[in-house]
Formats: sequence, structure tokens, C-alpha cells
Amino acid sequence: MSMEDYDFLFKIVLIGNAGVGKTCLVRRFTQGLFPPGQGATIGVDFMIKTVEINGEKVKLQIWDTAGQERFRSITQSYYRSANALILTYDITCEESFRCLPEWLREIEQYASNKVITVLVGNKIDLADKREVSQQRAAEFSEAQDMYYLETSAKESDNVEKLFLDLACRLISEARQNTLVNNVSSPLPGEGKSISYLTCCNFN
Amino acid sequence: MAAATAPGPRALGEEGGGSTAASALSMEQIQSLTDLADLEAAYSRLCEEEKVVQEELDTLLEQQSTIENKMVALHRMGPNLQLIEGDAQQLAGMITFTCNLAENVSSKVRQLDLAKNRLYQAIQRADDILDLKFCMDGVQTALRNEDYEQAAAHIHRYLSLDKSVIELSRQGKEGGIIDANLKLLQEAEQRLKTIVTEKFDAAMKQGDLPQVERFFKIFPLLGLHEEGLSKFSEYLCKQVANKAEENLQLVMGTDLSDRRAAVIFADTLTLLFEGIARVVETHQPIVETYYGPGRLYTLIKHLQVECDQQVEKVVDKFIKERDYHRQFQQVQNSMMRSSSAEKIEPRELDPILTEVTLMNARSELYLRFIKRRIISDFEVGDSMASEEVKQEHQIYLDKLLNNCLLSRTMQELIGYYITMEEYFMRETVNKAVAMDSYEKGQLTSSMVDDVFYIVKKCIGRALSSSSIDCLCAMINHSTTELESDFREVLYNKLKQGFPATTFQDFQRGVTSAVNIMHSSLQQGKFDTKGIESTDEAKQSFLVTLNNVEVCSENIMTLKKTLESDCSKLLSQGFGGEQAQAKIDSCLADMAAVSNKFRDLLQEGLNELNSTAIKPQVKPWINLFLSVSHNIEEEEFSDYEANDPWVQQFIVNLEQQMTEFKAGLSPVIYDTLTGLMTSLIAIELEKVLLKSTFSRLGGLQFDKELRSLIAYLTTVTTWTIRDKFARLSQMATILNLERVTEILDYWGPNSGPLTWRLTPAEVRQVLALRIDFRSEDIKRLRL
Repeated sequence: MSMEDYDFLFKIVLIGNAGVGKTCLVRRFTQGLFPPGQGATIGVDFMIKTVEINGEKVKLQIWDTAGQERFRSITQSYYRSANALILTYDITCEESFRCLPEWLREIEQYASNKVITVLVGNKIDLADKREVSQQRAAEFSEAQDMYYLETSAKESDNVEKLFLDLACRLISEARQNTLVNNVSSPLPGEGKSISYLTCCNFN
Repeated sequence: MAAATAPGPRALGEEGGGSTAASALSMEQIQSLTDLADLEAAYSRLCEEEKVVQEELDTLLEQQSTIENKMVALHRMGPNLQLIEGDAQQLAGMITFTCNLAENVSSKVRQLDLAKNRLYQAIQRADDILDLKFCMDGVQTALRNEDYEQAAAHIHRYLSLDKSVIELSRQGKEGGIIDANLKLLQEAEQRLKTIVTEKFDAAMKQGDLPQVERFFKIFPLLGLHEEGLSKFSEYLCKQVANKAEENLQLVMGTDLSDRRAAVIFADTLTLLFEGIARVVETHQPIVETYYGPGRLYTLIKHLQVECDQQVEKVVDKFIKERDYHRQFQQVQNSMMRSSSAEKIEPRELDPILTEVTLMNARSELYLRFIKRRIISDFEVGDSMASEEVKQEHQIYLDKLLNNCLLSRTMQELIGYYITMEEYFMRETVNKAVAMDSYEKGQLTSSMVDDVFYIVKKCIGRALSSSSIDCLCAMINHSTTELESDFREVLYNKLKQGFPATTFQDFQRGVTSAVNIMHSSLQQGKFDTKGIESTDEAKQSFLVTLNNVEVCSENIMTLKKTLESDCSKLLSQGFGGEQAQAKIDSCLADMAAVSNKFRDLLQEGLNELNSTAIKPQVKPWINLFLSVSHNIEEEEFSDYEANDPWVQQFIVNLEQQMTEFKAGLSPVIYDTLTGLMTSLIAIELEKVLLKSTFSRLGGLQFDKELRSLIAYLTTVTTWTIRDKFARLSQMATILNLERVTEILDYWGPNSGPLTWRLTPAEVRQVLALRIDFRSEDIKRLRL
């Protein structure tokens, strides 16, 4: 992993109930595949994709977590170092939407307070089976101050947009942080932590 | 020639066609002419035509002899042509004949070939029929003799015969007999199947392994591969179950004082896995030989069901006996209510955490074993198979490994484990911080070693589970613990600051200080007994600085150790394809914390420099102002004998730094002296610019600066020349004989010297010399 490969490095963690299509979203984005009959993720999976945004190389480290309860303590350990969280639900599954507040509590508890959270309703290709209306999700995301998007990993709808928009926002966030902290940090992952300079002043 | 003869035939043609047609005027036209002029015109035209015809006739007549010659030649060729015709007819006859012959031959060959094939088929069929007969007889005899292998071999032969052969032989003359025999054979087949199943079941009941194996080998001969494997697995599962039952009974009877009591459930699982592994090991050759490659998966799939059941029993017992779920609940409660009195004691968790990781490690080892076995068995079987089949087999295998109850149970246990281990780590770290103690003569306090011991222990334990995800989770938690909680502790200690008290030992006088300085210069070390600081706050600050630095180093060491430990684990084949990348990423996050401790150290040192060193050093430097540098010869010699400032300043510095040198690690001390040196250079420059100098005063300052630099060079490993470059250049200026002498060193004459002073600053320093006239300084061209 050479340092010169990229201008920015961001960690993105996908979370949400089991079976909402987290792995498919990641596979679609990183490999352009939609693997049917995808088995449940064990623990966490790890993918890397480097994208170019306005001439800058952005390396995205994407952590795809298992949705099943028994892996929760493993996945939680990744929240804190995440720059962004993609909270995913399945638009054809009311239950996966109803669990969102629980996920938000987890984020509150474990993630950094500067983390960017994106709400994603997946599987819009199954429109006739929709159980969660776009309006409800939009209202929910607005109340929680989250960016919100509906996707289809199968039809490749909005998947690219999801990750690229997120990368753009992470870049501008990182720039701002660097400015505030007055620390020129090549890795924004470093810049987001509480700097000694900002929280304490000896002189 | 061609051009000459060509008009010929055309002219002849015109002749044959009638000259009237060739003439431009027809008879009718001529007869209808009434006018003389017209007649004359027609006449002249006819005359012209006549002339042309005449010419053509002449030409034709000229050709007559040539044509006659040709005719003669043709007449001569006549007989030859007749000969050729005869020959050609003969040839055609011969070819037709040959062709018929060839067709004749080839059709005969075809017939022959057909005959041959039929002959072969007939022989084959005869053989098959003979075989069939032989089988019919053989099966009966073999069955009578209870020679089931022989009987099965016959049935196998019968089953591998072409069905059409059997059909055909029934249509033959002896159809009736064969039909009867066939029926017998089919009956025998059914009977044999029943017998083998019965015998197998009986042998299984009696636990008669040789008989079980004997009949196990017969199943594939009867085309009953799946049944055979499933029956055999049933037998093996019973063996496994019996043994597991026994082991579990033993566990219940284990004395608590037993050496292995703390890991007895892990041991029980180990026995179970080893048992199954042994079963696979022992019976794989039979399966391979009698059932062919690619069948091991089926056997293991059956065995895994039993394994899952037994694992469930052991884990259930484990959860009950060790109170695993209640302990987890308690940990969760303790984490929720952080100040609760009924917090679970982390030490109590220690044994169970170790046992769980051991249980998982055994499971991983076992799963890896069956995975390897199945893969290699599939590889043999699939060597010729299509990519699709291979992929399908891979999916079977993944499903078996990922979906088996064993995997899921262990994932659950590890899930609880991580939360409990995190709690264990955090609570134990808190304890180490609370019990922090400092021993005189040590640079760091106990908590740093303790905390890293704990972190190492927890990550080490997670590593020992062989689960990469578990390991990564604990690395992540450790990173959080170190970066947030522990760094916060150190940060808060530094925030209390270094108490800015006056330097007590100042009163001790020059002599003892000089002695100390001498001894320090000789031994390179201070005797700290002489200077005892009773101020705990000071010590706490210095110790914390050391702690921070050691933390930063320890994190890097920990990262390196973990890297090599992990590569060992990975080289044994544990973890998926992304394992290395996952570990690398988690360890990189951990390493980043090391830099945060470095930042903290730097801030702490800046604090120390500005609150402890600066308030002391500044007055000492300010004393320079009370020493006149506007001096004559007499005072200069007096200064020579009784140093007015620099010696005392050095002693004071020495004395002050003694405390830091003793209390700080060499690296930190070095950084601190670096900071101090910069401070001295800046402050001294300030007072210098407030003083005035005579020629000898300048010389005095030069001497003083040299002493100071010489001293500072001995106490720091940094090069300080650079920091004092401006001051040295100022001393040079103050030492000049005349104002214009500066030009010997300035601009093109500067030689190797790089001026750090601006022309304005040079003038400013020159102006400090009272004997230099300001007009001269102004007039300088710099």
C-alpha cells in the first residue's frame, strides 16, 4: 500500500439488517457484479476501490459487515474508525426499515461524532413489492439529518452515484477539517480525530 | 493476314444475299424515277457500286488458290481422324469398365465391414449372454454360499450390461429360458440388496467393524452409492456419538482441581473433533477405493450433522456450567451503568475468555481439516469436470462450512467473547491506571507497562482463537482503548501542568552545582541524590511525558509483533483471501495512534519549556543587561578573573536541567534541551539588542557566547551551531575594529559564511557599538 497511490483515503462501513443487499451494493460498485444467491456475509468483508474525483485519486476502503445479530460485536468495532456509514434497508421489507432507529442508536454509541451517515433504500427493482414508501424514508432521513438515496444493486441504479457523492462529501469534509485543525494531514482519516491542539491550549 | 481475309466472307455473304439488297437503290426506286436528273444520279451511283463490287470480286478470286490448298490438306487428314475416333471409343469403354469394377469392389468392402461389425456385435452379445448366464448361475451359487462379494460382483456385471442386449437375448430362440433366468437374476439383485442392508444393519448393531466395512464395500457394486455412504455414515456417527457421550460424562465428573479443569470444554470439543478427524482419516481410503473420488463430501456432510449435534451438547453444557450467558449479561449491564456497584470483576472473566478462544481455535482447526480433505477429494474427482461443476462443488463446500451449526455456534460464542474481552480490557486498564505507582529511579510509572501487558494479552487471546474477524475486532477495540481512554488519562495528567515554582536548589550555591556539573561531564550521568525534588506534581508531569513516549514506542512494537504473529497464523492457512488486507488495515489504524502519542509528547514538552524553563531562563539571561559591556581594559581583566555572567548562567542551566535529565528519558531530554537552546538563542538576542558595547565589550560578549555554545554543545546531541548562527554573526559584528571592516565579510567577500542577518539588522548591531559613528554606519553600502 504505497502512500503515493492516492490523495485521499476514506473508510466506509455498510451496516443494516441481514439480507438488505449490502454485499450486493459493494460488489456492484467494486466489481460491477450482481452475484445472485449471495450467501450471508460472515463477519466483515473488505474491498478497495480507487476512484478519481475532479482529478484527485480517492481510495475507498469499503467494509461490508454481516447483518446477523451474532456478528454485531465484530461489526461494532469498525464504527469508530469509519469516515462514513451507509445504513441500508430493503424497501420491500418493512422490518428492515423499522430497525433503523436501533441502528442509529448503535451509531450514536460507537461511531465518531463526525461520521457521515447515508440512508440507503435498496432493491427498487422490486417496485411491486415495495413496503416502505419513498416519502416515509425521506421524512425519516430528514428528521435524522441524513443524506438519503434509493438504489438497486441488481439494476445498478444509483449505486455509482451513492459512492461517488459520498466520496465528494468526504473530500469537502476532510478539507474543512484540515482547515479547522490547521494541520496539513495527507490522510483525512487522521485529521478527523480530536487533535491535541484544538482541545487544549497550554500557552 | 487476318485483316486481309476478313472482308472475304462478308463480300461472299453479300453476293449470296443478292446484289439488289447490297445496292443502295432498289429496282422499284429505279423504275419510279421519271426525272432525267434523278436517273442520271441513280446511274452514276449504280456505276460506283458496280466498281466496288468488281473490286471485291477481284479480291475473292485472288484468294481462290489458298483455299484450294487448304482443301487438299483437309482431304489428306481424313483417314487419320477415323483412327482417332476408334481409339477414343476404346478408351471410353475401358474407363466405364474400371469404374464398374471399382464400385463393385467398394460395395463388397462395405458389405465385408458390415459383416465384421455384426460379427463383433454378435461375439459381444454372445459374450454378454454368456456373462448373463454366468451371472445368473453365479449369483445363485454365490448367494447359496453366502459369498456376497461374488454375488455383488455378478450383479454389478449384470447392471453394467447393455440393456438392449438383455432385451435381444429375450427375443432369441431360448427367449423363454432367458426370461426366466433374468427374472431370477432380478430377484437375486433385490434379495442381495435386502440381504446386504440387513447384514449391514446387523453388523452395525453389533458394532462389528469388519462386517460393516465388508458390506459397505458391496453397496457401490449394487449401484447404491448414496445408500452405502449414508448407512456407513450412520454407523460412524453412532461411534462418534458414543464416544462423545462418554467424554461428556467424564467432563461432568472432572475434579475442579484437575489441571485441565479450566479448559475442560475446549478439551472435550478437541476430543470430538479429533475423533471425527480420525474417522475421516481411517475411512477415506475405503471410500476412495470403492466409491471413487468426489464422494468424501457426502460422507463428511453426514458426519457433520452428528458433529453439530455433539457440539451443541457440549456448548450447551459449557454455557450452563460456566454461566456464560449470565456473565455476558452482567458484562453488558456493567457497561451500561458505568458507575454501578455490582460491576463484574474482570479477573473472574479471565478463565472463561481463554476457554472460549481455545474452543474456537479447535473448531477452526477442525473446519480447516475437513475443508482441505474435501477440496483435495473434489480435485481428484473433478480433474476432467467442467468449470460449472467445479464451482458447484465449491458452493457445496462453502455452504457446508458456513452453515453448519458448529460454525454458527462458535460465531455466537465469539460474538459474546469480544464484548466480554473488550470489557475485560477496559476494566483492567482502568484498574492499572488507578493503581498506578512510580518507583524512584524509574522513568515511567507502572501503568504503562501494565496497560500494554493487558492490551497485548487481550489481543493475544483474540489471536489464539484463530478467528481473523475476532482478532481484528480486538485490534480495533485496543486502538480505541489506547487512543481514547488511555490517551485521555495521560492527557489529563499533562493538563495539570508543570508547577512553575522557583528553583529550590538555586540556593545550594555554586560549588555543589559545579561539582555536580563536573561529575556529570566526567561520567555522563548525574547523581540525583543531591537534588531531591519533593514536588510530586513535577515528577508526575515528567513521568507522564516519559509514559507518553513509551506508549508511542510500545504501540509500534506491538504492531510489529502482531504483524509477525498474524503472518504465522495466515501461513498456516487460516482466514480467507482478505484476511491479510483486513489485518493490515486494522494494524495501520493502530499504528496511527502512535503518532497521536508523539503529538501529545510534543505538546507536553512545549508546555514544559514555556512554563518551567522559560520563566527561569529569561531572568538569568536578563541579568546580562546588568553587566556592562561598555568596558575598558581594566574591567575586561577584572571580568577575566571574576566572570560576571556566563559562568553563573551555565551553572544555573546545568542545575535546572539536572532535574530534567534525571527525570526524563534520553530522547525526551534531548528534545527538551533542543527547545531550551532555541529559547536561549531567542532571548539572548533580545537582551543583546538592548545593550551597548565598547570594542572590549564586544570581545567580552564573543568570549561569553563561545563559552555558552561550548557548554550547550556538550549537553545536547542536536547541532546547536545553527540555532546560534545569528548570535555568532552579531558577535562578529560587535568585534569589528572599524565600521567599514564589515565589508570584508559582507557580500562578495562573505566566502563560506551565509549571513542570517538582514542589512538593517547589521546596521542595528553596529549601532550597539558606542565607538562607531552613526554617520559611518549610515554611509555603509550593504
